[in-house]
Amino acid sequence: MGADTDEELVRRIGAGDPAAVQAMVARKLPRILALAARMLGDAAEAEDVAQETFVRIWRHAAGWRQERARFDTWVHRVALNLCYDRLRRRREWTTDELPEVADEAPLPDAMPGDDERRVGRALQRIAPRQREAIVLVYYQDLSNIEAASAMQVSVDALESLLARGRRSLQAILVGDDGDD
Amino acid sequence: MAEKTREGPMDAKRFAAVADAYGGALHRWPRDEQPAALLFAETEEGRAILAAAGRLDAMLDRHRVEQPSPALYGTIVARATGEVRQVRRRRLWWLGFGLAGIGLAGAVAGLALVTVVSPELPSDRYVMDANATSFGDAGPDADQAEEDL
Repeated sequence: MGADTDEELVRRIGAGDPAAVQAMVARKLPRILALAARMLGDAAEAEDVAQETFVRIWRHAAGWRQERARFDTWVHRVALNLCYDRLRRRREWTTDELPEVADEAPLPDAMPGDDERRVGRALQRIAPRQREAIVLVYYQDLSNIEAASAMQVSVDALESLLARGRRSLQAILVGDDGDD
Repeated sequence: MAEKTREGPMDAKRFAAVADAYGGALHRWPRDEQPAALLFAETEEGRAILAAAGRLDAMLDRHRVEQPSPALYGTIVARATGEVRQVRRRRLWWLGFGLAGIGLAGAVAGLALVTVVSPELPSDRYVMDANATSFGDAGPDADQAEEDL
């Protein structure tokens, strides 16, 4: 027998099935935690976001109906909103608008074994919307349509964010600012 | 947010633009463009574009995040039990409230229907003499009438 779909699990959670709760946590927690960790660059904050995301899942499970978005896309949107709440609270920005201009100065040469941290730091230095696009498509493996839906933008806008984000990362990681 | 579908052969410009956005792994590319992209990827120009995009992909692949700890998993599941129970209780309460509301609305509607449908008859049709029977007036005048016969 195949695994339940997300929607079936949600229905069972709404009916109070504890096994469905465990299955949902096992299925979604790694994805939500990875998303939040890459968006925030902070493991502890990512855990908080993951917990808050699940609280929202439990609260909405009984009434959740599939309309436009798949459940997984909706979960991503919830987690991203929580990430943005935290990014705003960090007071790194003095205006309501999140910056579109990233700090693209190349990082210092990596020490051996430091590549992973360099990429993590580079991700934190690009504009949040570009980071969001790259995380959704590259790391979360959402299709372009799902990622655009989660970001509430058109596919063309998603592609533009992806291209600018990748160019920024390229500039930061290898000091090659390409053709932008 | 409908997606434009792109069909037909892919040119170098579009191939480079898609690689610029989605990287060098074709499985991440828009599904409707993958068949044409696969064909173009066989060309020398296509291979060069994918190789350039793949260099950044290789760097991004190095970024790994920690798997959730058993403690985090346990905390979330434990919290879920209370939350799900509370949500169910709240929904049942609202369901009961809704049913009570429906019952009350039914009663009000029934009363309104009776009021609207029932004709308002003059009061003298209702107030009958205490001596009246279905055969006629059984009061003193009636007795007199019988005696007169």
